[in-house]
Amino acid sequence: MSTTLEKAIRERREEIVSLWRGKVFDRLSDKISPGTPIGDAFVEGMAMILDGFASGDGSLRREGVTTVARILAVHPFRPSHALSMFVDLKTVLLETVPGGEEGAECVRRIDETTLEAFDSFMEHRETIYRLKVEESQKRMHMQLRGKRS
Amino acid sequence: MSKYLPKQSELVKEFEEKPGVLKGDYAKSEWWETPLEFREGNFCFPAKPEVLEELGFPNPRKWAPTDDDWKLPDGWQKTVMDGMKERLKKYRSLKLYLDSCMRCGACADKCHYFLGTGDPKNMPVLRAELVRSVYRNDFPLVEKILKGFSGSRKLTPEVLKEWHMYFYQCTECRRCSVFCPLGIDTAEITIMVREILQLVGLNNNWTLAPVANCNRTGNHLGIEPHTFVQNIESLVDDIEDLTGVTVNPTFNRKGAEILFITPSGDVFGDPGVYTMMGYLLLFHHIGLDYTISTYASEGGNFGLFTSNDMMKKLNAKMYHEARRLGVKWILGGECGHMWRVVHQYMNTMNGPADFLEEPVSPVTGTKFTNAKATKMVHIAEFTADLIHNQKLRLDPRRNDHLRTTFHDSCNVARGMGMFEEPRYVLNKVCNSFHEMAENTIREQTFCCGSGSGINAEEYMEMRMKGGFPRADAVRRVKEKHKVDSLVTICAIDRATLPPLMRYWTPGVSVYGLHELVGNALVMEGEKKRTEDLREEPMAGFEDGDDDEE
Repeated sequence: MSTTLEKAIRERREEIVSLWRGKVFDRLSDKISPGTPIGDAFVEGMAMILDGFASGDGSLRREGVTTVARILAVHPFRPSHALSMFVDLKTVLLETVPGGEEGAECVRRIDETTLEAFDSFMEHRETIYRLKVEESQKRMHMQLRGKRS
Repeated sequence: MSKYLPKQSELVKEFEEKPGVLKGDYAKSEWWETPLEFREGNFCFPAKPEVLEELGFPNPRKWAPTDDDWKLPDGWQKTVMDGMKERLKKYRSLKLYLDSCMRCGACADKCHYFLGTGDPKNMPVLRAELVRSVYRNDFPLVEKILKGFSGSRKLTPEVLKEWHMYFYQCTECRRCSVFCPLGIDTAEITIMVREILQLVGLNNNWTLAPVANCNRTGNHLGIEPHTFVQNIESLVDDIEDLTGVTVNPTFNRKGAEILFITPSGDVFGDPGVYTMMGYLLLFHHIGLDYTISTYASEGGNFGLFTSNDMMKKLNAKMYHEARRLGVKWILGGECGHMWRVVHQYMNTMNGPADFLEEPVSPVTGTKFTNAKATKMVHIAEFTADLIHNQKLRLDPRRNDHLRTTFHDSCNVARGMGMFEEPRYVLNKVCNSFHEMAENTIREQTFCCGSGSGINAEEYMEMRMKGGFPRADAVRRVKEKHKVDSLVTICAIDRATLPPLMRYWTPGVSVYGLHELVGNALVMEGEKKRTEDLREEPMAGFEDGDDDEE
């Protein structure tokens, strides 16, 4: 991402976080509430994503994506509903950062992040199903364990 | 006056702008107008008809919470109201808790299920209100007269569905009661409502199948005595392979000094079995004269989550076996709800156990005066006393491959006030221990999210939500101190925390306290130890390293 864009995001970070947060919680607030441990962790993840954008730190951005996707995946949201938070981010960023080439780069990066978030969301959904299966398997294994002696 | 007092304008602003508890389309509604939605992942499967038939419980049938018709029995309203009336008369605590709440909301944000789901009906005050609103409609005289003004409502199938949903999202952990200025124990309300729901066949298979098994064979899995023995013998073999020491547990031996009872999860559950190996090593180390019963082969008691009568019946085997075997007292393993039943109910339910003696440690001579009534001692107290009196040869370096934190189990911490003993033991058997945040431990501990009989696979999404506050506290201590091991003294925790950690805090494994004791014990005649009880390499004890101090 270009230096100008990164600088613009850094300078207006608080405003962007606040606007993005407002839009996201408007949409998800019946399941995730601000001011609760889960809400706070969610906001932490959002901030990591934005800071990852601002600093160009891909690993920080991915950590943020994992944090929010993990929370979203335990709630009964459709993937499209859950990931609409990145559409919100696009709206907020395009309103607050310079346009032109910077804007196009910004859109490209958000789209990339959205796809990463989709992968992460689905991986976490799969993890839940795997945990269910493994609990059953483990119980069966322990029942059979005594038979070996 | 404090300079930190908020200004009136700030309070008005907060009141007007802060989102209400009811969200989205229901922001302007009354709380009881929010609809219910049963869907995959937010309910436990109901008990199978054959389970109910075996127990003689009412209304056995096939049904699911997602069905429109729950096939309630004829006259179900009368059954429920009579059940409530009977319990209000029988248990004064229920009446007191229903009458005395002043809706202050101090409990609201203390419930891990409310924090995890954001669902207002999971606030303890509102969860209890689900019942109070019906109670007010029919019972207290003044409020009967003031019907319509007192927030009362009639008992309908929808209300019953609400009870079924939300009283199985309470894990009876009692965290809310710590913060209630009146000491209202919402867990007691949950216990009673679940009992009333059983009267019309609304239940949970994950609770009732173990109850039926326990009723039949003495343990939750329905394991027959010979298989129970086989499993422990397989652990004896594992101990011999790892340490070169042959331990010799005995079963149903009359005349032993002590009867040892632990949850069957320690005999059949991974990672509980490693805790069992720890017990076996400890008892061998001190030459304890003990026996294990294959009939009282379960410390846990899912009767607590079913009905008081069932809890009493399942608990009775402990004293029966102690009498039959002629032991002096009972030693209990690591468990949560087992200790709630033992500590708070056993003596008055099935006691007095005047055929037993006041427990005295045969090794240190310490008299456990706190167990004078029940005649049953918690293993953490027993081991702490052994360590305090320098009766154990321990090498805490053998746990140097683990960086630990400690999860207080709700029932042991809040139910019996045991905070220090497990920490004392843990600090003596390992070199790296870090506490989680103050408001998440000891009496303020957060539940694992799956206690009280809702540890079902099909309930995984809800369990992950309810367990989030605990997992988040672990994440923070992990980030700060590189903790990788969560130690606990509860069999349910050992079953529920591994998936919780794997989902929210990958990289943290779950251990029983006595597993770490077993790792650290220097046994007489042992071979060179290089692996812990899980056959994981011990740091600094690899082949070729010197393991002697």
